Amino acid sequence: LSAILVTLIFSLTLPILIHTYLYKRAVAKELPTFLLIGPSGAGKTSLLTLLANGTPSPTHTSQAPQTATCQLPSTTRSSEDKYRSENDTSSRTQPSVLLLDTPGHGKLRHHAIASLTSPTSLKGLLFVVDSAVLSSAAGLTETAEYLYDVLLLLQKRHMQGKTSKGPLAIPVLLVANKQDVFTSLPAGLVKSKLEEELGKVRQTRSKGLLDSGIGMDDGGEADEESNWLGEYGAKGFKFAQMREHGVEVEVVGTSTSAEGEDEGRGRKCWGWIGANV
Amino acid sequence: MLDGFEILTTSGIVLWRRHYTPISSSLIDSLVRDVFIEEKQKPGGGENGAPSYKKDRYTLRWTSAKDVGLVFVAVYQSLLHLSWIESLLTAVKGLFIKAYGQELKAAHTLKVNTAQWDPTFDALVNRLDTGSTRRQSDTIDSEGPTELTPPSSSAGDDADEPPPVPAPLFRKPAIPIKRDDLVGDSTSTDATPIPTPDTSRPATPGHAPSHLLTAKGGPGKASRRSRKAQTFNASAPASSGDESSPGHNLKGGAKTAAKGKRRWDVDGMAIEGDDDGVLDYSAPATPGPDSTERELDVAEVNTSQMGSRTGKGQFVLKDLDDEVDAILASSSKPQQRSNATDDTTGSGLLASASSRLTSLFRNVVGGKTLTKADLQLPLQQMQTHLLSKNVAPEAANRLCQAVETDLLDQKTANYTSIESTIRDSMTKALTRMLTPTSSLDLLREVTSITSGQGAPARPYVISIVGVNGVGKSTNLSKIAFFLLQNHFRVLVVAGDTFRSGAVEQLRVHVRNLSALSQREGVGKVELFEKGYGKDAATVARDAVAFATNKGAQPPGGSGQMLYDVVLIDTAGRRHNDSRLMSSLTKFGQLANPDKVFMVGEALVGTDSVAQARNFAKEFVDTKGKLRNNGVGMDGFIISKCDTVGDMVGTLVSMVHATGIPVVFLGVGQHYGDLRGLNVGWAVDKLMK
Repeated sequence: LSAILVTLIFSLTLPILIHTYLYKRAVAKELPTFLLIGPSGAGKTSLLTLLANGTPSPTHTSQAPQTATCQLPSTTRSSEDKYRSENDTSSRTQPSVLLLDTPGHGKLRHHAIASLTSPTSLKGLLFVVDSAVLSSAAGLTETAEYLYDVLLLLQKRHMQGKTSKGPLAIPVLLVANKQDVFTSLPAGLVKSKLEEELGKVRQTRSKGLLDSGIGMDDGGEADEESNWLGEYGAKGFKFAQMREHGVEVEVVGTSTSAEGEDEGRGRKCWGWIGANV
Repeated sequence: MLDGFEILTTSGIVLWRRHYTPISSSLIDSLVRDVFIEEKQKPGGGENGAPSYKKDRYTLRWTSAKDVGLVFVAVYQSLLHLSWIESLLTAVKGLFIKAYGQELKAAHTLKVNTAQWDPTFDALVNRLDTGSTRRQSDTIDSEGPTELTPPSSSAGDDADEPPPVPAPLFRKPAIPIKRDDLVGDSTSTDATPIPTPDTSRPATPGHAPSHLLTAKGGPGKASRRSRKAQTFNASAPASSGDESSPGHNLKGGAKTAAKGKRRWDVDGMAIEGDDDGVLDYSAPATPGPDSTERELDVAEVNTSQMGSRTGKGQFVLKDLDDEVDAILASSSKPQQRSNATDDTTGSGLLASASSRLTSLFRNVVGGKTLTKADLQLPLQQMQTHLLSKNVAPEAANRLCQAVETDLLDQKTANYTSIESTIRDSMTKALTRMLTPTSSLDLLREVTSITSGQGAPARPYVISIVGVNGVGKSTNLSKIAFFLLQNHFRVLVVAGDTFRSGAVEQLRVHVRNLSALSQREGVGKVELFEKGYGKDAATVARDAVAFATNKGAQPPGGSGQMLYDVVLIDTAGRRHNDSRLMSSLTKFGQLANPDKVFMVGEALVGTDSVAQARNFAKEFVDTKGKLRNNGVGMDGFIISKCDTVGDMVGTLVSMVHATGIPVVFLGVGQHYGDLRGLNVGWAVDKLMK
């Protein structure tokens, strides 16, 4: 009789133990991911530490990507709270997000490109630019070329996704960082300058040399239209043209090292993240 | 003294920093960029374990911990030579990882609480600091002669920061180590050690006069005496260098040889009977045991000093001493980890068979920790594969070394074998090497010149160089065709004034191109030539002046430039012909091109490395600095790529040799056969 009892207890508790063991170690459901991307020296790692810790840490050039999980601050409204009233007093926990910071150096951009093309639950893209460097021609060109590559990748992703379930549209927040620097351009000017420069880049890329990967082995569809950002054949480029590809671009100006109010520094970024979670 | 110390993660976040003097953040940024990302410096180029990097009068020494992703950087002035930095770096690395390793290994850590670390670091510095020596052999042009500085102003006086411990105690120079540094220092720029002794041996009175004696060089007796003093001086440092007995035995041996040493007194008479003690001014009376005693004395004073601060401080230091000793001792011994793991596997037939089976199993399933022995054979196969793709052995070696350091002691992922792990790592390394830091957009650059704001100063000048027969003229006309299609006005300059038929060849090309462009009504192309036998540099300069041509316009002319782009062809030259190569320098300075492209053919083998290096180092501007941020040229054009099929290894060899990116590929003999480089395509071909 005791043997039956022991066997019964054993056979009942063993699956439960195995279940708890396995599921404790399993990864929780995927957090919504936001990607921090931009040319070298824009302040991406600084912004990451600001959003994650509340105060920015000193940083140097990144060599490797870095992830951080953080919870939306209590003052931010997230998209889940869209239909709640302001005075709703029920307790709710703010959602957490995963921020992914990538190196901006030319040789290490494959990390960023890989994260863009891999099928994770990417909810948004923060493209950080250095507003002070944009006033020089070289800085403007480098930023615009990187932004062009990123937007083209998003456009292609959207177009290729039409056949299957289709990836969700990824909104882009253009963060004009370092607004505290004296020579920085305000956010509106950053937007117009980048639009102008992207138009020029679009022009030269269309007329440029073909890639070595195309046309040598087989015919290859040197499809002009697929490599054209925004509206095909349009004279100038506007971020509104990206809307048809599901890419919504918004511009805010921030500064990670302003001496102003502590909580207000990441406020605009959090607001956008909360709206797109 | 130490100017600063930082601990940062590979993702760029500074976990802890200590700045004794203000250091700009761009210093470490440039270290990361030049050494870790762009790999402009050969890895492992420094002395035993802590490589160094110099910029702006600062020297940076670093060490890294790959498993937790940390980099430890120490910054100090280049004038000083701090020999204790390596041990400091090793000790800091060991202690920091011990203290915070667990926290760092957890995911998503952005910062650690480093409040406990400050006193530990201070204690470590005090313990290891053995003073610094001013590097006299490192001649800085702006400094005056440093030999005549009085002994009191010896090393360390430029550091005005308040150190955490009483300063005078640690200004004590380190005698035993110093001599080795001066003689065997690989980083000092001046190779010849000055025979005058260091200022940090001030105690002996005999030095000052002998010092002055060596400076003079008068005739007669005085000079003979000075010469004798010089030889004594020269031998004295050598004997004090190795404090141990062999040095003294040498002197003693010389004494007892058939020819005894000669001493001369004031009147020029020989003195019999020599006295070693009088002659040897360099070292104290009994250098051997004394120096170690002195060191022990220093240590002893240290601990008692530290102990008297607080009880807590004393406790920390005692632990610290043991730990630091252990870390330093373990780091100086050769690493025998892999041997240790091998030793732990049991002996006997059954044990070896089962270990082989498990390793085979692990190879399939994954999760295997890679050791040097594991990686050796697959890496050799990979190297042979690269060599079969026409990659130079030097480049293949470097890539395999990079993969090995990357993969050593890492675990393989699930269900991946060692070969596939190595393939992945090699693909990443190749991609990183071939990807340029900033991609060249030729059209944008030319457009910004022509349609830029204000009147442009001169046209965009491109020059093509290379060895004989690689396809310079052909690729130049392909570039001209490309620019013509984009409505630019191009001037082709026949800078090859040596080879018969070079000018006629270009004339044929220009005729074809102008016919093509007239048919489509775009652009304008002309040839500028001065015949044969002239100096190519002056031809180039005249051509640029002709194309710029502002003042000679008829009145009513807009004063615009005649041409937008100037393409200069040069004569082919062997890279080992120094006379011809040096004429390239003059060419570069007179023509002052915006872009210099070197053409290399895809068919060439190992010679590509030497070609690339020799050509790159010729392009120096008037101040002696290599143009284009110190690399020399702006890009490579690899021609005849259609003839090699898959074996495009020349790309890798040339980029490895110089760090200059590949901008164009020539894929045929027609005007349209010019392509940009697609890194993914190239890496695919190489790994196929």
